[in-house]
Amino acid sequence: MLDLWSLRGELAYVRREDGFVKIGALTTIDDLYNSFLGKERKYLGFVDLYKGFGAYYLRSIATVGGNIGAGHPLSDAAILLMALDAEVKLVSKSGERMVKLNKLYRGKRELDRRPDELIMEVRFRDTPDNSSTALLKIDRRHGHSMGYTVTAAYLELDGNIIRDVRIAFDSMGEPYPGRAYKTEEYLRGRELSEETIHGAYSVLESEMKRISDYRAPAEYRLDLSKVLMKRALLLIRDRLSKG
Amino acid sequence: MSSSNGEYPDIPIKLNVNGRDYVVTVKPYERLIDVLRYKLGFTGVKEGCGRGECGSCLVIMDGKLVPSCLVLAVRANGSRITTIEGIAPEGKLHAIQKALLDVHAVQCGYCLPGVIVAVKYLLDRNPEPSDEEIMEVLDGCLCRCGTYPRFLKAVKLAIKYVREGKTYFDVKEAVEV
Repeated sequence: MLDLWSLRGELAYVRREDGFVKIGALTTIDDLYNSFLGKERKYLGFVDLYKGFGAYYLRSIATVGGNIGAGHPLSDAAILLMALDAEVKLVSKSGERMVKLNKLYRGKRELDRRPDELIMEVRFRDTPDNSSTALLKIDRRHGHSMGYTVTAAYLELDGNIIRDVRIAFDSMGEPYPGRAYKTEEYLRGRELSEETIHGAYSVLESEMKRISDYRAPAEYRLDLSKVLMKRALLLIRDRLSKG
Repeated sequence: MSSSNGEYPDIPIKLNVNGRDYVVTVKPYERLIDVLRYKLGFTGVKEGCGRGECGSCLVIMDGKLVPSCLVLAVRANGSRITTIEGIAPEGKLHAIQKALLDVHAVQCGYCLPGVIVAVKYLLDRNPEPSDEEIMEVLDGCLCRCGTYPRFLKAVKLAIKYVREGKTYFDVKEAVEV
């Protein structure tokens, strides 16, 4: 095990550059919240991330790179970043490469990352002003809540028409976070209404495969996933309408 | 970090704990909690889970509330640390401690060093926190006796004490029932 904390000087940053928002791997959850990501309407999902992340005292030591690298399905930051279509910069002595976050995972705690590669940065395209984000999870308690399901959404609205949408869950069937591509496809171009959301429920049901374990049964997780998706979309609409 | 003969090196680090300077030799894999407890004698710092999930080992390090079980000692080099032992002067109890006793929040007491340090951290930054703000800081402090509602009650009482200028109490006066 190697402690990378002494590299914070180089690898802890949040900045806008070349149309991207770039986040250094050693940026803490606290740092994210204190950056512009914790202040702008379109990135309110990062406020959700901060408020619900682990416990208060973990937010000043837990890093974005660590959250992504853990490769656990219930990695809040990774799920939110997936909804932002983020990509990860992996660096080794032999060079660097970018991997889309939705292609990074291969299994629980398994990444498409060679042992000599270091997660250096995660970045996503700066989003338009008529969009926003949300991250929601449900658990019985607040502190240290992992969530029976975790949902992140990115929504771009044109009036009440869904111009673009991305929805990520802690799991779509695999033991790592994933996107609900078919549901997104269904939602895109439609009016954001009760009817549309109900239509999206059946699409989500067809593409999502939930598991039962000691924490929650599959049926409950699927039901929560639908409800959280709805809440996330409506919350983003509210956030956008508040100007 | 291992040297050529396979041994981990001894690394001298400087710590300021509760206002006093220490130089201590540590291995690169040693955790701050172990150095505080076993090398410097601050046994008020308790280990519960050892993985950042219970809050028993909380200390204030350079103004941040951190679980000392998740911080390598070498990372703490040069930092200022406050443990439960540094909450009040010798022979005194802090208002938080007095309030916890007053409302009978203490059962087994194992989680309390972490709780007290967390509340101290909170009140240092925000002397008049709302219930929500108190709970936000304390929701990672697990108490298996389940005295959470009394923590809240105690923090409010502590705030009242501090407001009245009573930040410290004599131990003798505080524990007399």
